[in-house]
Amino acid sequence: MQTVQAIVNGILVGGFYASMAMGFSIVWGVMNIIDLAHGSLIIIGAYVTYELCTHLGVDPFLTIPVAAVVLFALGYVLQRYLINRVLQASIFATLILTFGLDRVLVNANLRIFSADIRGITVPYTAAALTLGDLRIPLIRLAVFGVAILSTLALWLFLERTRLGIAIKATSFDPEAARLSGIDPARIYAVTFGIGAALAGIAGALVAAVSTFSPVIGDGLTTRAFVVVVLGGLGSVPGAIAGGILLGVTENLVASVIPSFSDAAAFALLIVFLVARPRGLFGRRFYAEI
Amino acid sequence: MLSRTRRFAALAVAAAASIALLSAQPGRAADTDNVIRFGASLALTGGLASEGTLVKDGYDWMVREINAHGGLTVAGKKYTVEIKYYDDGSDTPTAVRLTKKLLDEDHVNFLLGPYGSGATNATSAVAEQYKIPMVDAHGSANTIYAKGNKYIFGVLNPADQYATPMLQLAKEQKDPPKTIAFVREDTLFANIGIESAAKQAEALGMKVVYNEKYPSGTKDFSTIIAAIKAQKPDMVLAGGYQGDMIVITRQIREGGLGVKMLGFLLGPTVRGYVGTLGALAEGTLEPTQWNANMGWHDQWFNLSSEQFAAAFDKEYHYVPDYHAPQSAAALEVFYNAIRKANSLDPQKVRDTIASSTFESFYGPIKFSEGGINVGKSMACIQIQHVKTTGTNEQQYLPVPVWPAKLRGSAHVIYPLK
Repeated sequence: MQTVQAIVNGILVGGFYASMAMGFSIVWGVMNIIDLAHGSLIIIGAYVTYELCTHLGVDPFLTIPVAAVVLFALGYVLQRYLINRVLQASIFATLILTFGLDRVLVNANLRIFSADIRGITVPYTAAALTLGDLRIPLIRLAVFGVAILSTLALWLFLERTRLGIAIKATSFDPEAARLSGIDPARIYAVTFGIGAALAGIAGALVAAVSTFSPVIGDGLTTRAFVVVVLGGLGSVPGAIAGGILLGVTENLVASVIPSFSDAAAFALLIVFLVARPRGLFGRRFYAEI
Repeated sequence: MLSRTRRFAALAVAAAASIALLSAQPGRAADTDNVIRFGASLALTGGLASEGTLVKDGYDWMVREINAHGGLTVAGKKYTVEIKYYDDGSDTPTAVRLTKKLLDEDHVNFLLGPYGSGATNATSAVAEQYKIPMVDAHGSANTIYAKGNKYIFGVLNPADQYATPMLQLAKEQKDPPKTIAFVREDTLFANIGIESAAKQAEALGMKVVYNEKYPSGTKDFSTIIAAIKAQKPDMVLAGGYQGDMIVITRQIREGGLGVKMLGFLLGPTVRGYVGTLGALAEGTLEPTQWNANMGWHDQWFNLSSEQFAAAFDKEYHYVPDYHAPQSAAALEVFYNAIRKANSLDPQKVRDTIASSTFESFYGPIKFSEGGINVGKSMACIQIQHVKTTGTNEQQYLPVPVWPAKLRGSAHVIYPLK
């Protein structure tokens, strides 16, 4: 029974991991930017939700669209006026830029919000679906639902809308895209904005189920990185699969020896890097830059 | 190529010589400008910044108090006191580097401790190396004081005593908890605290049904909670980073784990715990090094614990938990020793710290052979009367519940609902 509960917990937390990783994955896949500030963007999303909840007393799930819009705007501006400038340079230039950006965001957050640990406890914390001994807390189910829905929405957007198709076209061949009347600089800004909006959604979920402070962003970026490697770069279903694989592995190990859960997660990462570097759903086009 | 190597060698020799000259320079800054300088590397940014800031407030309060009382007179000469701070960003290797910098470049007279066991442990080696006494307020790991280091002194009770008041409280209840589960972050402080707690619990006749550690950075405890739930413990005791303790408390409720008693090595009184958890925090236990109701009286500044709390609140606009008075007491250890030694000589001050005892608003201070305060014992509080005011502001009282003399007429919430 405990094993089944561990698998269920792993799937639930896996959806949450997927939402943290999706924005990171699309930015990396389309523009070849490993966005080291992704964790800090998630934290900003968490603060948006936290501030709205504490000042207006609304449910954290209602603040998700606001967090997404605020972060989209921030992401769009960052890419348009800052990151686009180094896009043609080597990967090291973008790494250094996003690392520096991360430091700026962490310290700005410390200045504005202080280092106090924050979190939101909803009134329905104890509510759960039970099936015999199996227990599924409602809030965890809701987080899983939001994560899966937002990831699916992104997938539909990329497959079905003109803008989505333009993003994919630009990622495959910016020159050809330009010839077809697409402005790559604008597409990149929109893409980073979408990545940041997804970070904002993940941040709202972090605020609802966990605790956060300005300095925990690095750990979130690391988790997002692992999920992307497991699931496959730039792949929407890959983020969900990678997140769930990571969540289930961690929880299965934690149900027996909790102190090994991290070691197991990173062992899994190494196995994938050696045996299947493309990840579960990685396609050749994305990673081949 | 050869000439370049030679030039480099010459430069290196010159650099080494000047460093040697600098560090051999006798006498520190105080001799010239009537200021006794203390140095501290503190976690003012990074993961431990919220605690680090509380420590700084305590140190700063004491600096003002000493200077307001005319500073220190040593061998007929009047001195004011001052602290030189560096921010180590919650990083231990940085704390070590900055502590050396305080001694090498800033020539501080004495050292005050950083925040946390890891940083205190590492920087205490610097104190020993330079033979400059360091008094710390937040290095609770027993190992720090068990290495034969003659220059480190801690004013607090060490980690292995943290769980004692909670377990004693448990034993005193009608129908006391019979089984107990432990969970902890894999860090120095939590490991020592919980390992000692498990031994104490067994000695008190409780059955330990779960005892596991989790790696730092764990964000989800639902499976650990499910594993604990399967063992049906009466009591759960957890130790680790305060953000984790918030998530564990919440997930105990999410996971439907009903326990009679829930305690933490630290967490409930740290800023953010009750604010985040609201009513879920009601009834949680935490040991405390200090409480305003403890009734200690300071022999140097004529202040009771309560008067200290009021004076501090007036200046900093928050009610101090144990962090501030504990930090202030570390500086007062130097005050006491310098006055009694009537000297600024590091060796004489060290020897006086080791041999002299005094009463502070933080409690009696008396150091063991290893340099840990054995003059006082710990107490335990329970979070009670949690109320939501305004939209999301939480109010609560940390009610002292053990030992009985502190509790007075207050009641203990037991078992938890």
